[in-house]
Amino acid sequence: MIIGYVAGEGLLHRAHPFTSLTIAAGVTLLAFALPGTLSPWVLAGMLVVLAVAAGLTGAVVTTLVFSAPLWVFLGIIYGVFGTDWAVAAVYAGRISAILLAFLLALAAVHPGRLVDALVARRVSFAIAYLLAATLQAVPRLQHRAATILEAQRCRGLRTGGSPWRRIRSIVPLAIPLVQGALAEADDRAVALEVRGAVSGCARTPLSPPRDHLLDRVVRWGTVLVVLAAVVLRVVT
Amino acid sequence: MSVRFAGVSFRYPGADEDALRNVTLAFQPGEVTLLTGTSGAGCSTLLLTAAGLAPHVTGGTRTGEVDTLGVDPMTESGRQALAGRIGVLLATPWTQLSGMAYTVHDEVAFGPANLGWDREEIRAHVHESMKVAGVSHLAQRDPRTLSGGELQRVMFAGVMAMAPDLYLLDEPAAELDPAAAGDLYAMLSTLALDRAVVVASTDVDRLAEVVDRVVELEHGAVVADGPPAVVLGAAAAVERGTAPTVAVIAHRAGVPPDYPTSVAMAARRWSA
Amino acid sequence: MTVLAFEHVWFGYGLHPVLRDVSFSLAAGETAALVGRNGAGKTTITRLVMGLEHPDQGQVTLKGEATASRKPEEIARHAAYVFQHPDQQLFGRTVGTEVAFGSRQLGRPPEEVASLVRESLRALGLEHRSDTHPYDLPPAERKLVTLAAALAQDPDLLVVDEPTQGLDRVQRDRVIGVMQAVASRGVAVLAVTHDVVVVAEALDRAIAIADGAIAYDGPSATLLCDESLTESLGLEQPSTVRLAMALGMRQAPVRLQNAAVALARHLEAEG
Repeated sequence: MIIGYVAGEGLLHRAHPFTSLTIAAGVTLLAFALPGTLSPWVLAGMLVVLAVAAGLTGAVVTTLVFSAPLWVFLGIIYGVFGTDWAVAAVYAGRISAILLAFLLALAAVHPGRLVDALVARRVSFAIAYLLAATLQAVPRLQHRAATILEAQRCRGLRTGGSPWRRIRSIVPLAIPLVQGALAEADDRAVALEVRGAVSGCARTPLSPPRDHLLDRVVRWGTVLVVLAAVVLRVVT
Repeated sequence: MSVRFAGVSFRYPGADEDALRNVTLAFQPGEVTLLTGTSGAGCSTLLLTAAGLAPHVTGGTRTGEVDTLGVDPMTESGRQALAGRIGVLLATPWTQLSGMAYTVHDEVAFGPANLGWDREEIRAHVHESMKVAGVSHLAQRDPRTLSGGELQRVMFAGVMAMAPDLYLLDEPAAELDPAAAGDLYAMLSTLALDRAVVVASTDVDRLAEVVDRVVELEHGAVVADGPPAVVLGAAAAVERGTAPTVAVIAHRAGVPPDYPTSVAMAARRWSA
Repeated sequence: MTVLAFEHVWFGYGLHPVLRDVSFSLAAGETAALVGRNGAGKTTITRLVMGLEHPDQGQVTLKGEATASRKPEEIARHAAYVFQHPDQQLFGRTVGTEVAFGSRQLGRPPEEVASLVRESLRALGLEHRSDTHPYDLPPAERKLVTLAAALAQDPDLLVVDEPTQGLDRVQRDRVIGVMQAVASRGVAVLAVTHDVVVVAEALDRAIAIADGAIAYDGPSATLLCDESLTESLGLEQPSTVRLAMALGMRQAPVRLQNAAVALARHLEAEG
């Protein structure tokens, strides 16, 4: 299950980093702005097609894994108890579409290229780096959590069994995770400092992302569609 | 003179004792210095203080004067002036990853790119550093998939690629197997041709033969400073537990001090 | 009594085999060094021991039972593993609670846990650190804490990965002392290490891995005295051996004390 950047040469990888992020933001707004029960699902469907075309079917799988329990939950709350299946469907559709859009953006956007794209637009390196580091926070934590889990299991930590035991087993996993992450943040601050990141010089982009005409068309197109949907929603 | 300490003391935030106590010394270009002592003696802290990372990143208070490449690294202007001029290598290579590079080549290029060099210059320096560090074959690998030893050499290449005027290295061979460690240490005198190289390490056995000078710390204070044969061959070093194995063997064999500090030295002294 | 056995073990990630037909066994009280170049397969072997991986072919048995059917937390009843980098495990508010963790997880009665913790801390010179927060300790002492925690599990097999990395001489000698002490109590010790001094002083047997297969399995002293073999494995001969050879001594003692005695005799004979 993959959350975070996946190396590749597909459609979205070749696009400018801002394009994938604009699509993700656009889908989020459209999921709320478009009328009708099925519209979030249409959005999700379009994203699935995009995912397959871009060679990122893993993101679809991850979305399913995380969304399916939520669908059941929403179905129970709004469908069974509230007898309003339409609302359940809308919420489920929105969650799935938004999740898939962001997973696709995370998978296709190389943090280094994002930083270069931001710096080329005159965003300060510090802010750009922070943004890129945030995008990577989840896969890094995932990897670290897996390592810590192994270490504690080798000391006899049982992770299965009763709910109470499962809850108690979180402490020896969570604490090294958090402390490790904090210590790593300190070390990373040192590393950035010694590797010239505070030099005040304009950073040389190593592989500056090219902004094709198609990228600009897609981004502006997305903005226009969102605006149109919002206006329609307000007017009707 | 690359680094000068005058009466420097340093205490970490919340600590009961000073990590550095009244340290006065200087490091010169052209010299490889081993900074050693028992665990917790203050060697890593001394490097961090010379680089200005202590107190700027670590917190804490520093008294006394530090002059690194002509500026005080504790001041804002000093830090700006030193950006990219000091090659610092920490003992834990994976914590120094930029997090922005998906190939080793880009990881090594991270520092030079931050300094705003043009792409041709970056490419040349990266190519050369990777060659010297013996990691050219890893150029297209994802840094996250490297072993500890490979990563340490890649980080070393990253430091060299910035062409610093001063090297401050903390256990640079900690993750390397003995053969690779030997190769790295052999490189140090080349690095020191016109700059100071300071290595903090407990690997005295191997480094005794390679360095020009040894500074020994104990509880944050300088207790010895001189040529390796003198500092590490002294009875005091054996007592403190900082002497090389050959010296310990000689001591236990009843030989009077100063003891030989390497096999080669012992052979010269005692061969027929 | 055999504590650990690898029988014709093959293992790989994907298509490329990391371990090829590895077989060896370790008896109670036996101390073995696992040596070889980085990437040769040493850490993979320790992961197979702890049940973090299972063999593709062949069998790994711990105290007679195959690991393939057991989870790491069950294997922890008999084997304790000290990871190379301590910060992956440390979470206790104090060194004392940290060291007690494994033992408590394994369900030992409180008095036994307290006694095991006291002994382990004492063996590693950490008694005065019992109430300190592990992250307030220097990195080298954090490493000693993880070793103390493994000892407090009272295992039949102790598996350690680079136990002396980052330690000074005094700390290294303590670790050597601990390994010798547990071995004399019948604990089997398997140590992945590059530190030939530890091999010489504490580990009687050496198992060398090259390209996923066993290149040597025998007395560690014999390996350390063989110049070409040690070099091919990416190791260096210890100073004790190199000194003896440089001075033309007939025998090359591997341990420090023996080297000192041999040197004294040699210098006396030379006049």
